[in-house]
Amino acid sequence: MWVMVSSVRSRNSIFRPIDIMVEQFGKACQLLGQCLILLFHTLKYIIRGEIDWRETWRQSYKIGVESCIVVSLTALFTGFAMSLQISRELVLFGADTAIGGVVSLALVREIGPITAGIMVAGRVGSSVAAELTTMMITEQIDALKVMRVDPVQFLVVPRFVAAMLMMPALTVYAMALGLIAGIFIAYTAANVPAATFLDSVKQTILDRDFGTHFLKAWTNAVLIIVISCAIGLRTRGGAEDVGIATTRTIVWTMTMLFVCNYIITAVTYAPR
Amino acid sequence: MVRQKQPPKIDGSTKPMVEVKDVYKAFGDKPILKGVTFNVYPGEILGLVGKSGCGKSTMLKILCGLLEPDSGLIRMHSDEVGLVFQGSALLNSYTVKENLAIALRRRKLNRKEQDRIISEKLELVGLRGFEDKYPSQLSGGQQKRTSFARAIVNDPKIIFYDEPTTGLDPVISTVIEDYMNELEDRLNAASIVVTHQLSTWTRTADRVLLMHDGRIEWEGTPDEALISSNPYIQQFAYAKREGPLLDSTI
Repeated sequence: MWVMVSSVRSRNSIFRPIDIMVEQFGKACQLLGQCLILLFHTLKYIIRGEIDWRETWRQSYKIGVESCIVVSLTALFTGFAMSLQISRELVLFGADTAIGGVVSLALVREIGPITAGIMVAGRVGSSVAAELTTMMITEQIDALKVMRVDPVQFLVVPRFVAAMLMMPALTVYAMALGLIAGIFIAYTAANVPAATFLDSVKQTILDRDFGTHFLKAWTNAVLIIVISCAIGLRTRGGAEDVGIATTRTIVWTMTMLFVCNYIITAVTYAPR
Repeated sequence: MVRQKQPPKIDGSTKPMVEVKDVYKAFGDKPILKGVTFNVYPGEILGLVGKSGCGKSTMLKILCGLLEPDSGLIRMHSDEVGLVFQGSALLNSYTVKENLAIALRRRKLNRKEQDRIISEKLELVGLRGFEDKYPSQLSGGQQKRTSFARAIVNDPKIIFYDEPTTGLDPVISTVIEDYMNELEDRLNAASIVVTHQLSTWTRTADRVLLMHDGRIEWEGTPDEALISSNPYIQQFAYAKREGPLLDSTI
């Protein structure tokens, strides 16, 4: 079994950028392999219906309900800032009735999923990685194995299912709050009534935009849980390694969120 | 000082519960186990002792299925295995009752039967009334006893103890050692206790194996260990600075 441990880089390697890149590429490939294996095992349990619903409910509360405040604040202020910028430019061209459409397009296609994704990655991803790493270090995972309880089924599946249920809810919630912020800014900064704003939204948003929105939400859920659990369940060592695992989780999850967000956008909205 | 109860009767016809034959294990190019062979019989507590790094914890992890040996044979004549961890290893976000319930999951019992078994085991370790406490609300000794209850919740025929008294005060250590003997009497299980605490192996073990440098260097009863002229067990039992145990490292 491959085990991740904190590595102390020698002083000389600072002057060898190629070596560092090769090392990082190797680590990325290892992590990708671990994530795919973990995803396969997780899906296997879900397809068999072997889901602990009580634990899933508990995790749904932690992932969904407890993330509401941070998602609210970020969505609201992102909505304010974005609407202010868009209103300012569109008013200059006399297109103030299109503010609602442009703001909602940005919210449904990009800002809603990515805002919720980043906040959940920061709050839930880091906490899952820290919790599982601590469980590895304190032999709690070994205890599960000795009791013949598969850690993937017991720890990963409930978190995975909970994230798949809660992420779309959070992204819709973030989008709704962004729209409320947009209506407020459009009215105060560009004197656009709420009815005009919403009418523009209705004319601009298509059904497939919601399809992309949910696809991004579910992709984010998979990335956050699989990366954090893969790192958490493969780390050994001491207290320092909990911090290293948490940092790795945040860096990899955030990076992959943006990469996958772009890929989905490119596939669904590429000019034909 | 030495264990008061009668050792189990083992003769040629007694079948071992755990058979370990010629087990080798290395981490990278560093050999840890170099051909370890022993048997453990029903009703027997085997003390696996030795200084830190001699390979006894690796042996225990192999027996529990947490590590794979490089070569050798391990035969366990029961699927029901319990392990008491050095650091208790209780799941922190679950209550005492839930920790025990996790071990019962695969038996798919109804709630009433599950609660009855959990109450019975907690009663056995003197923790009745602690069902809804979280591990962080328990003392070190109580955590260790919960770990005991969890290890025996399925009435295992094989029990492993990994440093069960390390880090506990002498009084609580004695309580834990008494529990080990009591459990042995009740379950008639084959047990292996990995320890370097003198009081633990002298008060609980029927037979002692001294491991050194990945091999079994001495075997005998705790009584024999204290009077043996073997330099390895003599140095270990009397915690002497001079002797063969430190030769290879210092």
